[in-house]
Amino acid sequence: MPIDALTAPWETLAFCLLLLVAPVVAESRARRTPRWHVVVLAAALAGTLFAADASVAYLMAAVTALVHAISAWRFSRTGAAALVVSALMALGVAATVGADQITAAFLLSTVAVALRAGTMPFHVGVASLCDRAPRVQTQQLASTIALVFIHLRFVDHHDEAIALAPIIVRFGAAAAFVAALHSLVQRDLRGFYRSTTATHGGMVLAALGAASLHNYAAALLVTVSAGLALGGLGIMIASLEERVGVVAYGRSSGRVDAFPRLAVAFALFGAASVAMPGTVGFVADDLLLHTLWMESPVGTVLMILASAMLAVSTLICYSHVFLGRPASLLAPDLVPRERVVAVALAALVLILGFGPGLVLYPADAFLEVAPTPVSTPDGGSR
Amino acid sequence: MPDMLHLMLALAIVAPLLSVPAIGLRVLLADHFPSERFAFRIAEAGLAVSTLASIVVFGYFAGVFGAPVRGEVEFGRWLHIHDYEIPLVLLVDRVSVTISLFAVILTTIVARFSRTYLHKEPGFVRFFVLLAFFATGTQLVALAGALELFFAGWEILGISSAMFIGFFHERDEPVRSSVRAFGTYRFADAGLLIATVVTFELLGSARFSALGRAGTLPAAEATLIAMLFLLSAMGKSAQLPFSGWLPRAMEGPTPSSALFYGAVSIHAGLFLLLRVWPVLEVSTPARVAGVVVGLSTAFYAASVVRVHTDAKGALAHATLAQVGLILVEICLGWITLALVHLVAHALLRLGQYLRAPSLIHDSHRLGHVHHHPSWLERRAPRLAVRLYAASLHRLRLDDRIDVAFSPALALARAIDRLDRRLRSALSLDGPA
Repeated sequence: MPIDALTAPWETLAFCLLLLVAPVVAESRARRTPRWHVVVLAAALAGTLFAADASVAYLMAAVTALVHAISAWRFSRTGAAALVVSALMALGVAATVGADQITAAFLLSTVAVALRAGTMPFHVGVASLCDRAPRVQTQQLASTIALVFIHLRFVDHHDEAIALAPIIVRFGAAAAFVAALHSLVQRDLRGFYRSTTATHGGMVLAALGAASLHNYAAALLVTVSAGLALGGLGIMIASLEERVGVVAYGRSSGRVDAFPRLAVAFALFGAASVAMPGTVGFVADDLLLHTLWMESPVGTVLMILASAMLAVSTLICYSHVFLGRPASLLAPDLVPRERVVAVALAALVLILGFGPGLVLYPADAFLEVAPTPVSTPDGGSR
Repeated sequence: MPDMLHLMLALAIVAPLLSVPAIGLRVLLADHFPSERFAFRIAEAGLAVSTLASIVVFGYFAGVFGAPVRGEVEFGRWLHIHDYEIPLVLLVDRVSVTISLFAVILTTIVARFSRTYLHKEPGFVRFFVLLAFFATGTQLVALAGALELFFAGWEILGISSAMFIGFFHERDEPVRSSVRAFGTYRFADAGLLIATVVTFELLGSARFSALGRAGTLPAAEATLIAMLFLLSAMGKSAQLPFSGWLPRAMEGPTPSSALFYGAVSIHAGLFLLLRVWPVLEVSTPARVAGVVVGLSTAFYAASVVRVHTDAKGALAHATLAQVGLILVEICLGWITLALVHLVAHALLRLGQYLRAPSLIHDSHRLGHVHHHPSWLERRAPRLAVRLYAASLHRLRLDDRIDVAFSPALALARAIDRLDRRLRSALSLDGPA
């Protein structure tokens, strides 16, 4: 295996750890996630990404989901329950993949990803996390990236995956379109975050569907891009709500003068989530559209329209939340710990925007290789 | 010296862009907000370097530094995976070097003008960040050698335009106008994005040079691509039925209105059509559609400008009428005329927009201008009255677009209700 390929799990681990640690750094000490959660999650993520065996990798993925569920429980029982269900799915994959039931493993793994990414209509748990615990949601995005990584590595190199790809692509594109349309009528910041997450959930699922046609690296880039953009948005939303409470749209509120840095960071992560040029979202979106075209031109058009609608709803949200007559607010702008997180995530969003090859090439070299021989219907193996 | 050419082309695009993180990082990391002087100097330095680089590139094109340079200049690949690539390729030709130099010089002039005009405005720093961002977008649009790069620049123009329209965000109206303009842009941009994907799939590359093979495509496919490009150009250049956002865009500061809706951005759609001319050339239906749209817009805008009472709004519609005529010229294949018309028109409008605040003084000085009945008023007074009323309401374009989109919004609300029910049925939590 070339050196490039060996860097893929390390790089993915780095993104996952960043998303795992970022909310902890940004949080005030009193509300901080217990340290053991972070340590266990980091170890389980490393185990997920570096496991040579599919069953072990999915077992580790189940552990991460359960630890997230424990973190989520005090904020959102619905979110915690969805995470437990996804853990059960991961355990199911571990069992079925061990018994050479690759089709069942593929389907279970796909549903687990849809649950974790918040793809409509599997979005109820993630929507609850977006509403009640955006920082836990950011952390669980880290392990969603790891889950996608092992899905691409272990269960996507299969003829059944290719056969099911058109269905998954169309389903993902339709889910993204519906969620983006939904985002246009949201009346509060949490609703915006929910529907943005659901739109990206559809994109991730569609990318996963198209991945089986040797677009593994593209699917990983789409997931990393969604993770960074949504993670950044989640942390900024949590920071804003700590200062001003729950934000409903109503009249424009003029917060940009009180929180200029928060507004800049929100705008940047919002721009990344709607594929603005210069951000990783732009390249990921472009690559996604080209891979989708192979499976479904209609799905591609739906995805383009979804992206356009999401961009409009992001501007609507920004204008309601930050613009308007200057308000006199006593709360401070981003404090240093939050600024560090915003700058680190923003830097990564921009660096990957200009150099997407940093993720793509190692991931392509690593994920293109099927880890174990998989039997094919004609009795051969590949 | 090809290396020098590469450097200059890169600087023409990247130099203004570098001032964005330079100012942005200072905003994020420093304790104090940057001063006006700092923001202006950084933005002006980026623009000055870009201007010099554009002049040198023009020199290469004109043959000042040896044999004239023409064609694609390769910078490698933005990404390349299997059979898909986004090439980093710029184009040096008559259209690109003219527009690049022209746009950066106008942006630099407007930047200098704005330093005084916006002195002590609360959004001074934001204005210069956006101006640098916009300059990057125009250079990318002008010099891009492939549709993906062009699209990146195109999007930058769109977002910076929306931000400028909503610049005075303390009032509700500019913010609403900004969202409306951005919505129109994104809807029309979908056409460009679909066209880019389809072009790549059908021609094997999204380079502008590959569009020369458009003649080999079946007529229906060539027409589909040409129509998508035309749709995108119509949105960006505010052609009917997308003209409603342009008068609303006058909510922005005068210098940005001058640069965007007088000089550069409003002509970007026309520039796109000049760039993709080989596709347009082989599609007669698209060219006919372009002529119809251009003439309709020119007629509509000429009618509205006669009844408009505010200076910037009248200028916006006067601009629109000329842009409609340039669209007609392009679709008729009069490319050189269209390019000359575009440059001359942009220069005239820039001056007019920048002088718009002085028009009040001028009108006081000149006194009342008597109304002389027009030919239509003399021949068909009833029709003239109807036309007057329709022009006053701008054909209710915005209302009609709202009506066209209302089923989609109704569907979105239905989805919202369904989503609430689903989440409430499956929820294990109490109220948030």
